[in-house]
Amino acid sequence: MAIRTHLPRLRPLSKRIALPILRPYHSYDHPPPPGPFTPTESSILSAAIPHIPSHGFTHTTLSLGTKDAGYIDASTNLFPNGTFSLVHYHLYTQRLALAKHEHILSPALKEREKVPGVGWKVKALTWERLMANREIIHRWQEALAFMAQPSHMPTAISELSSLSDEIWFLSGDTSVDTSWYMKRASLSAIYAATELFMTTDKSPDFIDTREFLNRRFKDVQIVGGTMGNVAQWAGFTAHAGLNVLRSKGVRI
Amino acid sequence: MASRSVFRSLWRASKLHPLPTRAPRCFSNSTRLAESPTQPSNHEKTTHFGFETVPEAEKESRVAGVFSNVAASYDTMNDFMSLGIHRLWKDHFVRSLNPGSSSTVDSPGWKMLDIAGGTGDIAFRLLDHATDINNSPSSTIIISDINPSMLAEGKKRSLATSYANSPRLSFLVANAEDLNTIESNSVDLYTVAFGIRNFTNKEKALREAYRVLKPGGVFACLEFSGVTNSLFDAVYKRWSFSAIPLIGQLVAGDRASYQYLVESIEKFPKQEEFRDMIKDAGFMVPGKGWEDLTGGIAAIHKGIKPVEKP
Repeated sequence: MAIRTHLPRLRPLSKRIALPILRPYHSYDHPPPPGPFTPTESSILSAAIPHIPSHGFTHTTLSLGTKDAGYIDASTNLFPNGTFSLVHYHLYTQRLALAKHEHILSPALKEREKVPGVGWKVKALTWERLMANREIIHRWQEALAFMAQPSHMPTAISELSSLSDEIWFLSGDTSVDTSWYMKRASLSAIYAATELFMTTDKSPDFIDTREFLNRRFKDVQIVGGTMGNVAQWAGFTAHAGLNVLRSKGVRI
Repeated sequence: MASRSVFRSLWRASKLHPLPTRAPRCFSNSTRLAESPTQPSNHEKTTHFGFETVPEAEKESRVAGVFSNVAASYDTMNDFMSLGIHRLWKDHFVRSLNPGSSSTVDSPGWKMLDIAGGTGDIAFRLLDHATDINNSPSSTIIISDINPSMLAEGKKRSLATSYANSPRLSFLVANAEDLNTIESNSVDLYTVAFGIRNFTNKEKALREAYRVLKPGGVFACLEFSGVTNSLFDAVYKRWSFSAIPLIGQLVAGDRASYQYLVESIEKFPKQEEFRDMIKDAGFMVPGKGWEDLTGGIAAIHKGIKPVEKP
């Protein structure tokens, strides 16, 4: 009875929940959700992006974007998050752009060439994503400052996790065990660290960044390998100990 | 036994004469207003005046009566009723609009229109922000109000600002549903703060806002709205229906006007509903369409007039 009286109240509540703009998984059967930006917002933001190298992540850039898209200065009110929308738009579009790197995802193989593994693809895609910041890297610290603001941090962190998930997914990772989490967490950490390193890198063609990235991947391999070995050793020892006790007649 | 029969007869009586759906509230005379003799005939178009239903033709004059009564003590009363918070709301409203901002140095400035802006509260803030923050001394504003006595109050107050008698500030007595003296596609920013709930035909006013705004121009509305937390809502309702008419009586000597005020707040469409009204008028809304202030006591709604693609 109590349930019956409560149910009608629950139903309108569940109706009110809006469809998520971001889907936490990849689907081959359903088209991707429309994303966090409306067509008008996208047209203004994409017009604003070319102004970032000269004006940075500022209100001026946003204003110039509205003008270039045929709108007026007042139209910047379309973005309740203001300048952070520029950062978010860059993160979002560059993440989606990764799927277009055909030469990495399905490389044309010459005869007797080995099919590149998941690890190679992950490294290549991570590098491509870093290179997408190439034009605006001298302004990227402004964006990092926006992302560190408490009100914007949830969006920034969810974009980072979506990015590492996207990279692993595109590389063909199909793990379904706890390593799923380890892979994404370690890639997120590597990416965030390398991106920060890149903001101060003055070397030609970002050679230093490339080496930094390779060292981080090596670290993870060593740590991951050591962790795996330690876990295997601990498991074996525990098993052996148990069997020794059993052979002595302990009923376990 | 006797008590049971008494109970039963009472119960029957209650079935025969159902209780009025809205129980009377302490300190409030809303029931009296609701039962007032001015019930319109069926064939007339009607609208809300607080909890009363009045013919559309009558609302305008009655709202005019309310604001003619409160014009002089308007700000004192606002301070008393909102404990001074209305100033924070207005400051935040203006700051979020960022009037006068521009990407170019030789910008012609923003052309702004403050509807129902009688006392100039919002208008002076908008001009201050445009001048001091965005260095846009060419931004102008038209203060429009349907009520000449509210507008007179605004003119009086403008003398204390640096905008007195400057071409940046002008006054216009007009009904927001028919702004025929203002050209189509001419305004950058249309603001209406604590005014739209008094309009007889809100849809018509929204369509008129859409007409006067430039493509890309902004409609911005600061208005009382629905409190989202039910516990806070109970406290807030108690305050507004009991204390505000009482304060009105004590400070301004006018209970009925303030009774209308709280009733009109209650009758005004809530956040989602008003957002949809703005969308229906043709505007695009930013994000979810509104921003709650102080738990939803007030809300800022915005709409942007889309640019027609050639």
